[in-house]
Amino acid sequence: MSYIELKNVSYRYPLAEADALKNINYAFEEGKLYGIIGENGGGKTTFCDLIKGLIPSFYGGDLTGEVFIKGKEIREWESSALASTIGYIFQNPFTQISGIKETVFEEIALGLENLGVEREEIIDRVINVVKQLKIEHLVKNNPNKLSGGQRQRVAFASIIAMETDILVIDEPTSQLDPKGTSDIFEIIHLLKEQGKTILLVEHKIDLIAEYADEVLVIKQGELITNGKTSDVFSDVNLLNEGVNIPQIALLSNDMKEQGKPFDTFAITRSQAREQILKKGSEKICH
Amino acid sequence: MMDETFINSYRSPQLSKNWLLNLNPLNKINIYIALGLITLFFQHWQVNVVITLVFILLAVAAGCFKSFIGPFLKLGLVIGPFFFIVRAIFWPGENMIFNYGIINITQEGIDLGIQYATIMLVVCGILVLCTVTIKAEDLTYSLEKIGVPHNVSFMILSSLQLIIDLKDKTKVIMDSQRSRGIETEGNVFVRIKAFVPVLSPLFLGAISGAEEKTIAMDARAFSSANPNTHLRFLRPTPALEKILVILVDILILGLIILGVVL
Ligand SMILES: Nc1ncnc2c1ncn2[C@@H]1O[C@H](COP(=O)(O)OP(=O)(O)OP(=O)(O)O)[C@@H](O)[C@H]1O
Ligand SMILES: [Mg+2]
Repeated sequence: MSYIELKNVSYRYPLAEADALKNINYAFEEGKLYGIIGENGGGKTTFCDLIKGLIPSFYGGDLTGEVFIKGKEIREWESSALASTIGYIFQNPFTQISGIKETVFEEIALGLENLGVEREEIIDRVINVVKQLKIEHLVKNNPNKLSGGQRQRVAFASIIAMETDILVIDEPTSQLDPKGTSDIFEIIHLLKEQGKTILLVEHKIDLIAEYADEVLVIKQGELITNGKTSDVFSDVNLLNEGVNIPQIALLSNDMKEQGKPFDTFAITRSQAREQILKKGSEKICH
Repeated sequence: MMDETFINSYRSPQLSKNWLLNLNPLNKINIYIALGLITLFFQHWQVNVVITLVFILLAVAAGCFKSFIGPFLKLGLVIGPFFFIVRAIFWPGENMIFNYGIINITQEGIDLGIQYATIMLVVCGILVLCTVTIKAEDLTYSLEKIGVPHNVSFMILSSLQLIIDLKDKTKVIMDSQRSRGIETEGNVFVRIKAFVPVLSPLFLGAISGAEEKTIAMDARAFSSANPNTHLRFLRPTPALEKILVILVDILILGLIILGVVL
């Protein structure tokens, strides 16, 4: 049984003239990290909202087809049960802060309070994520007075603390500097190791190449390509679809066109390094 | 490294060194309002002034005089005189002091004006005292403890937060308008004129923000069916405090009866 499954899903926002999602079929497996990419306005956020159960219950509009989460149709899920199954970190960090807590520590605890977790466990779990996300220095701060990047980390921590099986993450690094970005990806990687199923929307293509098991490309509401990350990025035609391709994948492609392909198509720096070192040593041997 | 004392502060009830601040939020409100009620039964401006002074003394006792006096004067000095002028100018009466067109100042009008203005001081005193001596979170905690549903207390908390948000945002928008050359300082008319264009971005922003905030709260299991727990908590109200509040209420009730009888 698939973990999350979409069957012939189409969706149109209220009053919209075109479908924001068009006839999507896909099955997500447990424990994998899925990268969702595509041009602006393609429908990535709409896709996330759908999985999170906000469509159509919150936005209204017409949803056709079926969405199954852990085998149960999304319309049959109680929204509270869904909240403790799927964690959602969304694009805009500014509205994700509750605004009603006076310290970051309490802000991160909010979701756990709502779930009815006991105080000592709340404290333990908050301390853990605070350490993971390296925001020890922020715990006493007022969450309403943080910078965009700090908010993004706090928002991230608040959702991770809830320990949901599935995480839907929409551009978690839009406000972060390079250091912050790599920190977040380290954590995403860690979460995957812990067995979480992760759907990640991200424009930073090199990071997708490095971390995602599978990639979905969404354009104008359609799922135009999907597959193993290395397979998806080995197709340079993707460039015509408004999607960036990792520089390394372009290099691999160049090598192929020059008649000197790598043994396996490299899409990350470390893969390319390995291939090049291998080729180099082969030369020396001959 | 995280501050152990800070984390441990969540393991015991929130307490400060000040006895008045440590009162249960609902008891604070009880005392403030009971004091305020006295004014309605006495109808002497001198009584109103005395009650106002009591509020100022309470602010001092709570160690909040500094944060109290600024907002209190700002609010009181606008609302008080406003009520005075409206009453004084338009109230009909026997003892004419000054008359010009519709302006008709009488001794009765002035008396009533003073009466209203000082009542407004008392009202402002209650409001400001509540904001400086009660943390919104503690208020909702104690409301939930007496059985107010979680989502009602959340609504109270977030509307209070919305007011603060709107205040901050107004300032930001005003600043940006000033930098674009729009007058925002000066007399009342200049200020009102400057304020009008602020309103639409302010409320549009508040509305679109509200939608996303709903989603954000949903993501934090706000709709969860489990009874929620509290990280931050207050001590159970001590018996002595309960007795004190009941005594104060009885005393005030006595004063009111006395006032009605006299
Ligand atoms: N609440 C809404 N009501 C109506 N139409 C919407 C709504 N939200 C998004 N849309 C439309 O749906 C389409 C998909 O938008 P979506 O936000 O899902 O794109 P996206 O892939 O997340 O883009 P980005 O990379 O900019 O975040 C767009 O054409 C957008 O205009
Ligand atoms: Mg988006």
